[in-house]
Amino acid sequence: MWKFTLRRTLIMIPQLIVLSILIFVLAQLMPGDALSGQVGPDVDPKRLDEIREQMGWNDPWHEQYGRWVGGILQGDFGDSYRFKIPVSELIGQRIVNSFWLSVATLILSYLIAIPLGITSGRYNDSWRDQLITGYSYIGFATPLFIFALVMLWLFGFTLQWFPTSGSVTPGLEPGTFEYVMSKLYHLLLPALSTALITTYGTIQYLRNEIVDTKQKDFIITARAKGASESRVYNRHILRNSLLPIAAFFGFEITNLIGGSIFIENIFGYPGMGQLLVESITLRDYTVLTATTLLFGVASILGALLSDIILSIVDPRIRIK
Amino acid sequence: MRKTSKWLLALMLVLLLALAACGGDSDNESSSDKEGDKTEDTNSGENTEANEDGIFNIEDFSMTSTNAGDALEDGSLTYGIVSDTVLEGTFNFNFYSAAPDYEVIAWFDEPLFDSDANYAYTQDGAATWEVDETGTVYTLKIKDGVNWHDGNPVTAEDWAFAHYVIGHPDYIGIRYGADFENVVGMTEYHAGETDTISGIEVIDEKTLQITYKEGGPSQITGGIWPYALPKHIFGEMEVAEMMESDAVRKNPIGFGPYVVESVVPGESVVLTRNEDYWRGKPALEKVTVKVVSSATVVQELETGGVDLVDSFPTDQFLDNSDMSNVEFLGAVDAAYTYIGFKLGTWNAETGQVEVDPNAKMADVNLRRAMWYAVDNNAVGDNFYNGLRWNATTLIIPFFPEYHNADIETPTYDPEEANRILDEAGYEDVDGDGFRENLEGEELVINFASMSGGETAEPLAQYYIQSWEAIGLKVELVDGRLLEFNSFYDRLEADDPAYDIYQGAWGTGTDVNPAGIFAGNSPANYPRWTNEENDQLLAEGSSMKAMDTEYRKEVYDKWQQLMVDNIPMFPTLYRSVIVPVNNRVVNYTLDPQSDLHRYEIGVTEAESVVAE
Repeated sequence: MWKFTLRRTLIMIPQLIVLSILIFVLAQLMPGDALSGQVGPDVDPKRLDEIREQMGWNDPWHEQYGRWVGGILQGDFGDSYRFKIPVSELIGQRIVNSFWLSVATLILSYLIAIPLGITSGRYNDSWRDQLITGYSYIGFATPLFIFALVMLWLFGFTLQWFPTSGSVTPGLEPGTFEYVMSKLYHLLLPALSTALITTYGTIQYLRNEIVDTKQKDFIITARAKGASESRVYNRHILRNSLLPIAAFFGFEITNLIGGSIFIENIFGYPGMGQLLVESITLRDYTVLTATTLLFGVASILGALLSDIILSIVDPRIRIK
Repeated sequence: MRKTSKWLLALMLVLLLALAACGGDSDNESSSDKEGDKTEDTNSGENTEANEDGIFNIEDFSMTSTNAGDALEDGSLTYGIVSDTVLEGTFNFNFYSAAPDYEVIAWFDEPLFDSDANYAYTQDGAATWEVDETGTVYTLKIKDGVNWHDGNPVTAEDWAFAHYVIGHPDYIGIRYGADFENVVGMTEYHAGETDTISGIEVIDEKTLQITYKEGGPSQITGGIWPYALPKHIFGEMEVAEMMESDAVRKNPIGFGPYVVESVVPGESVVLTRNEDYWRGKPALEKVTVKVVSSATVVQELETGGVDLVDSFPTDQFLDNSDMSNVEFLGAVDAAYTYIGFKLGTWNAETGQVEVDPNAKMADVNLRRAMWYAVDNNAVGDNFYNGLRWNATTLIIPFFPEYHNADIETPTYDPEEANRILDEAGYEDVDGDGFRENLEGEELVINFASMSGGETAEPLAQYYIQSWEAIGLKVELVDGRLLEFNSFYDRLEADDPAYDIYQGAWGTGTDVNPAGIFAGNSPANYPRWTNEENDQLLAEGSSMKAMDTEYRKEVYDKWQQLMVDNIPMFPTLYRSVIVPVNNRVVNYTLDPQSDLHRYEIGVTEAESVVAE
């Protein structure tokens, strides 16, 4: 077990180095910089060149890369040119929003997926199953950004049940009960919109596992021993069927900090996805490289976590 | 097998028909939409009406809200900033760079000078100015009673301090530039050679004297830095740390009508009334400023989620012109779109434009024919419903005093364009339908245009077709529209792949066009100049041009020069449209108006909602 984890961790190191070089070089290759198109009657073009020199953007890429990696090793991601604050502080502000949005989405989607998946698997090929499968196909086929817009229009603007943008009502004191409730209120609609149509994977996964497990020999044995139907389902089938989903959980963690580009833009919710897109269009390199690196690291860690969970769950993985 | 393929064929045919029907339908739909709009427009009472073709004219818009009621004592207002990016949060005039931040700052801070219809500083603001007979020494006096939000008076020391911070070698904002280098001693200070700026002298607590290297009319339309920076707050900080300090980001300070109460980073700012405001008591109790995405701005306005916004997306105006709970105000925008011709290169060493007499577009007849070939009024009517319209000269009507509408400029006349080309000797030698150049070689003009918005592609295609109609072969650079950053990167680097390009300029409030047309300006993207151009531009900002009549004469000549030489031609003038909720009073876009921001109020406690 420990050997496996260690080996898996060691592989991460070259992965990370390659990742960081790729991210940095690709970002450098993008045309333009944070000052492109800023020229205007109130801004002196010579001043822009002066700033470029001052910020070291004209240095060769390997020098800039050296500075960047050196900074990261000391926990310094540099300053965002656009926001004029340290990148770590900026990400700190945003990652909290994305994290809570993702947690809410995750909880909601499991709340929807698990009962539906179980019902669908237990009564497979009945009308209930067909209804649920139908729903999950619709979810699969509906583009998230269109569905989110419809939800926003219906519940946000027409019925006015939910706020339509932002992460909190302006003017509340951070830390108070109202502040927390307002935060929750603001993330409910985006989380629900995502959860409703992204659960199809989990539902189908669960359904197939249950249908599969139902026919296994040990279930027949359990039935033969005279176990009640609910005991068979809750103790024997469900436990075994949830294992692959547990393993999948590692990747879900990655999404927790990644945020959703579509959802955050539609609901004007300032999270990581929005930050990433803006840093690309406005060429805020330090933010761009830091966020992509963070996402990369999160995916690598998520894969590691999944492997570890799987190896705990399924001892066969641990053998070479 | 055969049977299935027959069925398949039949199915394909049915699908094809269905598709064709769809296409037809959508055409019908859009035309019936237009008709619907027409009838609705005649019903809408107070809002500006379009003519029979659904075309608006900016002159029909009011610049000031018409609600004449009395403002409530304890009203509150929500101001929307239409932006698809978040607030950057640099809430200080001396540090900000993005327009959304400016919209926030303007509520709690203000320039020390007020300005008139020509955007020139007057004596009505928080400070007054006087200039000596040389035109270079300005004495600036701050009025009594002008206090920062923390109660300390705004002093001459604070004003000088703003210069010291912006000129400092560690300052990383974009505000430093030629205007600051015009202060005597600034260059030395910026280079780190001296600790003081010799041209800036604090006479007494309220009086500041600044000596400039060169005077001229531009000094009072933005040349003198009109913003102060409170030294008692920023004085202890390192210059490099000011931008990220709480005094800029979390508790920003100014001396404007409202005081910042709280900031939600990136999203919104809540402000309350500044009881100590120097002009008088601000009309509102509370102002909330928040970012609204362009996708949801219409719903926000209809539901009263925001009372007014900084600028309404023009492409959504036609569909919403009859919104019942708001009044649409309109004014000429300080910007224009243009087609530029690449006529030379930038020499970074000499800091001068070098005109290339052998450039592909070097023949002015070719450029003039291209101007005649495009119908910009049609572009403005079809793509922008008249909210953008045919541009004539390069000094735009945003400067009514200096814009000369009498100068005759090429307007759509394909026959004239053909005549010019024929006469100049551009003939179709090989009979492929396109003209060859003067040497009889194939002429392909490469056109660079930016992506962005729904109209970018059809607009570029329209221009290409118009030029094709007069026999010119024009192709998009790389065969597609270019992304904003790479477009400007290649434009600045004089990429030889660009022959002509479509761009836009914001003009700011200074009429002086030297910043983008002078031979020594790196922003002169066409890379064209001549002696007369540089001379006229110099005269237009000289001391002699303090006399408006003389300056007008110079700029008339310059506008004519540009029509004669055509290094670029303006295509569209633009308007800015601002929807204002019916409960809002005293809001104006008019630079001539005496209304100030602190007078903006509301007459009802709740926003009016659309019916």
